[in-house]
Amino acid sequence: MRIGRLIERIAGLVPVLLGVSVIVFLMITLTPGDPVEIMLGDSRSSPEQEAALRRDMGLDRPMVERFFLFLGNAVRGEFGLSFFHRRPVIDVIGERLPATIELTLVALVLSLVIAIPLGVLAAVKKNTWFDRIGTVGSLLGVSMPGFWFGILLILLFSVKLGWLPVAGRIGFSAEVPFVTGMLLIDTLLAGRLDSFVEAARHILLPALTLALPMAAILMRVTRSSMLEVLRADYVLFAEAKGLSRARVIGRHALKNALIPTVTVAALETGSLLGGNMIVETVFGWPGLGRLVVEAIFSRNYPIVQAAVLLYAVTYVLLNFIADLLYTALNPRIKL
Amino acid sequence: MTAAAGPLLLVEGLTTEFATRGGLVRAVDDVSLRVEAGECLGVVGESGSGKSMTFLSVMGLVRPPGRVSARRLMFDGTDVLALDEAGKRALRGRDIAITMQDALTALNPAFTVATQITEVLIAHNRAASMGEARIKAEEMMRLVGIPAAASRLDDYPHQFSGGMRQRIMIATALACRPRLLIADEPTTALDVTIQAQVLDLIADLRRELGMSVVLITHDLGVVAEHADRVMVMYAGQVVEDGPTATIIDRPAHPYTRGLIDCMPNLETLDRPVHPIPGQVPSPLDLPPHCRFFDRCERAGPQCRVPVALLPLSPDHGVRCIRAEGAAHG
Repeated sequence: MRIGRLIERIAGLVPVLLGVSVIVFLMITLTPGDPVEIMLGDSRSSPEQEAALRRDMGLDRPMVERFFLFLGNAVRGEFGLSFFHRRPVIDVIGERLPATIELTLVALVLSLVIAIPLGVLAAVKKNTWFDRIGTVGSLLGVSMPGFWFGILLILLFSVKLGWLPVAGRIGFSAEVPFVTGMLLIDTLLAGRLDSFVEAARHILLPALTLALPMAAILMRVTRSSMLEVLRADYVLFAEAKGLSRARVIGRHALKNALIPTVTVAALETGSLLGGNMIVETVFGWPGLGRLVVEAIFSRNYPIVQAAVLLYAVTYVLLNFIADLLYTALNPRIKL
Repeated sequence: MTAAAGPLLLVEGLTTEFATRGGLVRAVDDVSLRVEAGECLGVVGESGSGKSMTFLSVMGLVRPPGRVSARRLMFDGTDVLALDEAGKRALRGRDIAITMQDALTALNPAFTVATQITEVLIAHNRAASMGEARIKAEEMMRLVGIPAAASRLDDYPHQFSGGMRQRIMIATALACRPRLLIADEPTTALDVTIQAQVLDLIADLRRELGMSVVLITHDLGVVAEHADRVMVMYAGQVVEDGPTATIIDRPAHPYTRGLIDCMPNLETLDRPVHPIPGQVPSPLDLPPHCRFFDRCERAGPQCRVPVALLPLSPDHGVRCIRAEGAAHG
C-alpha cells in the first residue's frame, strides 16, 4: 500500500466528517426547546436577562456563524461545560471513554475468537449436526435482547454460582495508576497481576453479553463466505498441491473468506460503541454509554452533543480501518 | 520410490457418482486407462464428458457428495486405493500434479506467487528452509520462462498477464518435479498466440523432466500435435482409445469421426465444417443403449443395446458395435 494513497484516503474522510458535524449541529439546534428557557428554568427572568444570556451563549448570532463557531470548538475538543458536572464536557467524556473502549475491544476480540473458528467449522461441516446446532445457536444469539441475556448471565454466574462479580469495573481495594484508563492494560503496566485478574473477572460478563450477539452474526457471515470460497478453484488447486487440510482451509480459504467478516465486524463494533448503553447500565459499567443515558435523562445537552459527534466519528474511522484491512486481505483491492 | 515395471498410472473400472436432487449422476462410468512413463496421453471430449472429473477422481479431489470407486488404481506400482489420506496427500503435488483451465481462478489472489510455489516445496520436504524454497521457486519461474523471475517472486497473480499466469501455475505444479502432470485444458483460457507457447512449454518440460503428461482438451488439433495416444470420452464413458495417428487417420467411432469433421482446417477451408447434430444426453437421463445413439448418423436398430469398449486391435479400442473389425459381444 502506498503512503500517497493512504494520505489521499485520509483526506477523503474530511468531507464525511464535515457532513457529520453539520448533521449533529442541526440536530441540536433544531431540536424543539429553547436552551435559554431550559437554563433559566421556572425562575422569573426579565426579557433583558434572557437576551443577555442569549448573547452570552452566542445564540443571537446567525446560524451559519454559530455552526463555524461550533466546528472550531469541536476541532479543539471544546464542547462547553457539562450542565450537571460543571466541568468541561471533554474531561467528563475523557474519564468515561476508556472504560467503554476497553469493554468494546474485549467484546470484539471475544466475538471474533468465538465466531471465526465456529463459522469455518460450520462451513466445512456443512449440513451436519454441528452446522445445524450452530445455525440454531446463532439465531438465538441474534434474537436475544442484550439486557435480558446480561441479566441471565448475572443470575447464573454471579448470583447462583458466585464465580464472577455482579457489577462494576474493579474491586475498591485495587488502586491502579491511570495511564490509558483501560484497566486491563494499566494493571499490567503497574505489574499488578492480582488487580489484572480482578479487572478481567469484572469485564468478562459485560463483554460476553456484547460479544455473543455479535459473534452470532459474524459466525453466519464467516460460514457463508467460507462456503463460497471453498468452492473456488484455488482451494481445489491448493488441495491438488498436496497441502495439509489445515493449510488449505486455514490459509487459502480463510484469508479470502474474511473480507465480509471484517466489514460486518467493523460495522458491528461501531454499533457496539453506541449500543452498549443498555449493557453498561445493566452491569453498572462506568463507561460512555451510561454517561450518555444519564445525560439524556437530565437533558445535559453538551454531553449528548459531544457523544453523538464522537460516535459518528468513531463509526467513520472504523469503516476506514476496515478498508485498510481489505487491502491486506486481498491485494487486488486498491485503496 | 521404486520404479516398477508396467505403466506409471493404471486405472481400472473408475466410476464417479454424484447424488443430486434429480437422482444419481454417474459423471465417470467404468473408465479404464493407463499412462506409460514419459508418455503423453490426450483426453478428448465435449464439456461434461467426464474427462476432467476422471482425473480429479484419480487425484482424490472429488468432494462430497461425489463418490469415487475403482477396481484398481495403481501409481508407479503403488496401490493408491490402499493408501490412507496422508499417503494420498503425499502423492498429490509431489508425484502427480495438475494444472487447471484458468490460472486466474486457480492461483490464490490473496498470496504472492512466491508463497504459492514455495508452500508446495515445503509441504513435500523439498526445501529445508524458506530461503532454499525461494531459490527453487525462482528457478522454477525461470524454467517456465518468466522474465526477471527474481524481481517478480513477491508479486501477486493479478499482476501478471494471462499467459504468464498460466506459466506460474505450471511452475507451481511442477515445483516438486512430479512424474505425472495432468494438464486440464491448459490453453482454453488463453489467446491463440499464447496457446502454442504454453503447449510447447509443456512439451519441453516433459522432455526435460522426463515426466508423463495427460493432456485434457476438446481440441483434437492440440492432441494430434502433442499426444502419443488418445482417449475419447463421451457422456462419462471412454468411446475410443488408441495411438494418435490411428485415431486421427482412421477413427472407428462415429463420435470421434464427428469431432474430426468439425475441426476447422487450413487446407480444407473451402469445405464447410460438419458440426455433430444434437447434444450430449443429460447425465440424469442416460439411454440404456449406446449413449451416442441419438446423434449418430449410422445408428440402426441393432444399436439399441448396451455397448462395451471392444478391441479393434491390441492397442485400439472402440465402443461401437458397427465399427469394422470389432469383436461383437
